Amino acid sequence: MSLTGRINRRSLVAVGLIGLTPIIAACSTPSAASTTVPSAGTQASNVAAPAAGASSSAGGSTVPLVVYSAQGYDSAVTKAFQAATGIPVKLVDDSTGPLLTRVAAEKNNPSWNVLWVDGDTAFAALDQQGQLADYTPQATFTAAGAKLQPSDHSYVSVSTTVMPGIIYNAARTTTVPASWQDLLGSAYQGQVGMNDPAQSGPTYPFVAGMMNLLGGQSNGETAGKAYFGKLKANGLKVFATNGDTLHALETGQINYGLIQSSAIAGELLKVKPTAQFKPKAVYLPKATLLPGVVGIDKANSPQAMKEAQEFVDYVLSPAGQKVMLTGDAQGDSNFWPIVQGVQANSNLGALPDNQRIDPYFWGPKEGEINSWFDQSIKQ
Amino acid sequence: MAEGVVGRLRPRVGSWRSVLRHGPASAVWALLVAILILPIAMFLVIAISPRLLGQGDQWFTLRAFARVLSPSLLPAAVNSVSVALAAGVGAVVVGAAMAWLEQRTDLPGRRLWSGMMFSLMLAPSYLIALGWERLLEPAGVLDVLGLHAAWLRGHFYGPLGVSVVLGVKGLPFAYLAIAGALRGLGDEFEDAARVHGGGPVTGLRISASLLAPAFWSAFAIVFAESVSDFGVADTLAHDAHFPVLTYTLYTAIDAFPVDFPVAAAIGWVLLGLAGLAILAQNLAMRGRAYQVLGGRTRQVRRRHLGVVPRLSALAGATMVGIVGVGIPLLGALAASLFVGMGTLAASPTLTLDNYRRVLESAALHAPLAYSAEMAFVTAFLAVGLGLVCARALSTTGNRLSGRILDLMLLTAVALPGIVFAAGYIFTYNLPIMNRMGIHIYGTSLLLLLGYVATALPSTARVLVGSVSQLQSSMGQAARVHGAGAIRAWFSSSLPLLARPILNAWLLTFSATLLELPVSQLLYPPGSPPVSVGITKALSAYDLGGGTAMEVVSIALVLVVMGATWLGWRLLAPRGWKRIGEAR
Repeated sequence: MSLTGRINRRSLVAVGLIGLTPIIAACSTPSAASTTVPSAGTQASNVAAPAAGASSSAGGSTVPLVVYSAQGYDSAVTKAFQAATGIPVKLVDDSTGPLLTRVAAEKNNPSWNVLWVDGDTAFAALDQQGQLADYTPQATFTAAGAKLQPSDHSYVSVSTTVMPGIIYNAARTTTVPASWQDLLGSAYQGQVGMNDPAQSGPTYPFVAGMMNLLGGQSNGETAGKAYFGKLKANGLKVFATNGDTLHALETGQINYGLIQSSAIAGELLKVKPTAQFKPKAVYLPKATLLPGVVGIDKANSPQAMKEAQEFVDYVLSPAGQKVMLTGDAQGDSNFWPIVQGVQANSNLGALPDNQRIDPYFWGPKEGEINSWFDQSIKQ
Repeated sequence: MAEGVVGRLRPRVGSWRSVLRHGPASAVWALLVAILILPIAMFLVIAISPRLLGQGDQWFTLRAFARVLSPSLLPAAVNSVSVALAAGVGAVVVGAAMAWLEQRTDLPGRRLWSGMMFSLMLAPSYLIALGWERLLEPAGVLDVLGLHAAWLRGHFYGPLGVSVVLGVKGLPFAYLAIAGALRGLGDEFEDAARVHGGGPVTGLRISASLLAPAFWSAFAIVFAESVSDFGVADTLAHDAHFPVLTYTLYTAIDAFPVDFPVAAAIGWVLLGLAGLAILAQNLAMRGRAYQVLGGRTRQVRRRHLGVVPRLSALAGATMVGIVGVGIPLLGALAASLFVGMGTLAASPTLTLDNYRRVLESAALHAPLAYSAEMAFVTAFLAVGLGLVCARALSTTGNRLSGRILDLMLLTAVALPGIVFAAGYIFTYNLPIMNRMGIHIYGTSLLLLLGYVATALPSTARVLVGSVSQLQSSMGQAARVHGAGAIRAWFSSSLPLLARPILNAWLLTFSATLLELPVSQLLYPPGSPPVSVGITKALSAYDLGGGTAMEVVSIALVLVVMGATWLGWRLLAPRGWKRIGEAR
């Protein structure tokens, strides 16, 4: 059965010819003028030429290194890496959720060489699926940094934030919690907000971390669910992401927000205190470490594998860490370094009292716990 | 011997003729299979065979359906259908009223309405919803201004608000589909009814009956767009604790490990809902013909509206403008031009810093140029292919091929963009594709095909109302007078369809420039489209920067629109502009 009438069949050819001209023009041109593309809102220029004395990888045998990253400073780091080594980098810069969806859809034939996002639970899952190449970097880690490295070296933690910190509006409240139990008291009724773990990448580690803190791996899920149930009974408000919870704090819907430490530090840098809004931060004991993690695709070609390892070493080098600490000053650059000899930005203070959760235990529970949160806490 | 050779050649000549005759149609089907059927099928098959694409251990399982078809999902399904029905009916009623007022009355300011419809296209649904939330939320802009919004908030945060936002988002599709068809419908049918003793109501009923393809087409597309919408599900519906199907789908693919089988099972449910819309459309239009657009279609007379109808119509149009354009625009301008508006953080201060930052940043230039280039090419391809599909839908709508095409197009709309894009990855990133020498994953070509596939259903639907009105006698007359097929189409059909084609082109260009879900999953490494940059800025709580980027992008679309309409006014032959003109 024919699709169209006779006249339209031929007109299609004409339309096709008209349409083909711009397609060929569009698709035959190189896709971008520069090989690294800056993320939104950052200043950037075209790629710099490799520095004199760049590493041995610079040469005819290099292949473009494809980096999937959700870090605010990734554009600055990949540009600096390219300038230092001569290895061209192609960056896919997006939020964690779409990047991990893309990685999952590409499972049969990965297009990424390096994946760089916050949180190690996704990497534990990728490791269990056999998608990650082991690598032991050259850097020397701090005690916290060593704690964050997996025993099988299937991925590399390169920085850390904590989840959650508490940001509160000191212009509207003088009560500051000293423990997690305090938040269940009447002084905090209807004043506390947090992110939705189904929408905010860093929030599942917080929920799992609370469970781990309250009952360990054996009883944590039950104890944690009871705790969040009590928080809800005390008027907990759930917003989508760090930005939405901050917005609720700024508009006076809440006075306490449980969000990621880097978002708190960014807000404190951005906002000038006023009579009505004086944001301050407090960290309660055993906040959960949320590492920035780099993973290397196991299916890389030998050359891409070598370049990916070089990239990891560059990120952990003093030069790489310096770019990370300055590349997104009011955002992701507010992390605690975990490489010995590298200091955090001065606005950040010391790394709070913390715990690390086992991503291989808590990672596979993410879907189930998020569903419970959706049905029991959010509604 | 010689006769034997000729005899053997004869069928070959016949087969070549057959190839020539059916080649273009086969090529179109092949293209539709490549950009629509294959990716959708590859995604949906994961629900029953996750192992086929490495998304699980089982070759055959119904686990995902068991999870999806649980009692807890039923309220979400009912909610999705309810708000989509309300949005579809609302968009058709308002779109038809606005099209009629614009084309058939002397209402002042009517020429601005087409521009308003395109403006509605520009704001993604989540931004419309966010604009309303910023206005109505506790301690939001209305509360800060001393206008206590608790009552309105109580009503808007729920099915009413979700339906309104989805209806407003679907309004441009409904308006364009109906306006195109109305333009081709002269006064003569109403006049004939009046001559035979019918009153104004009878005339209106006849006109409405003749516009049925456009009404149904508009309803089906708005319904399908609404059930698949992610933006409102993720914002207003989520904040109002009003569960819809797409949010369940979202939670399946946002956690890691990503559960594609469950997402695919929900895709089957959405597919079923789109099928119901098609079924209703086919039942309503079975056995009827709607060809009214010919060489004798006359200019219509504008009606003079009295004071009360005029004021009512103006109030209604203004309300649509406020709900659909004013609120999100206010939200975007407030966020990008005023620091601290609606917050305790600072008193509102007018500043151009966000625009300065964005315009000076290379982060915007290359992505905006790239998105504009892709939208430009997509619009040409989608309109070309959309014309063919619209023709096929209008001539073979009740045949099997027409039904398959209709279902296929609506399925593409009923599946949320992000899973549609995942289907593209499953299809074109298969190792077997590489072995066949097809290396298009991670290239601009695949992104372009994804854009075309995403735009095609809406483009075809917008055109089908006008194309179904074309009388075949027009082309036949041209052929009788010696014109070739192509010349006949260009000389007889193109003049009648020129304006709907132009509108469809602008619609596609506008919708593609800020398209997000397909862009996110398919953009080539190193070449981010502008929508990805905007979303990244917004997710990093750079509300000022993100909205400034959005306003700059929208300004670009408005410039393109202005230039296109100016070109039409100055360059289009007078006869092309005659269809739909009123005296």
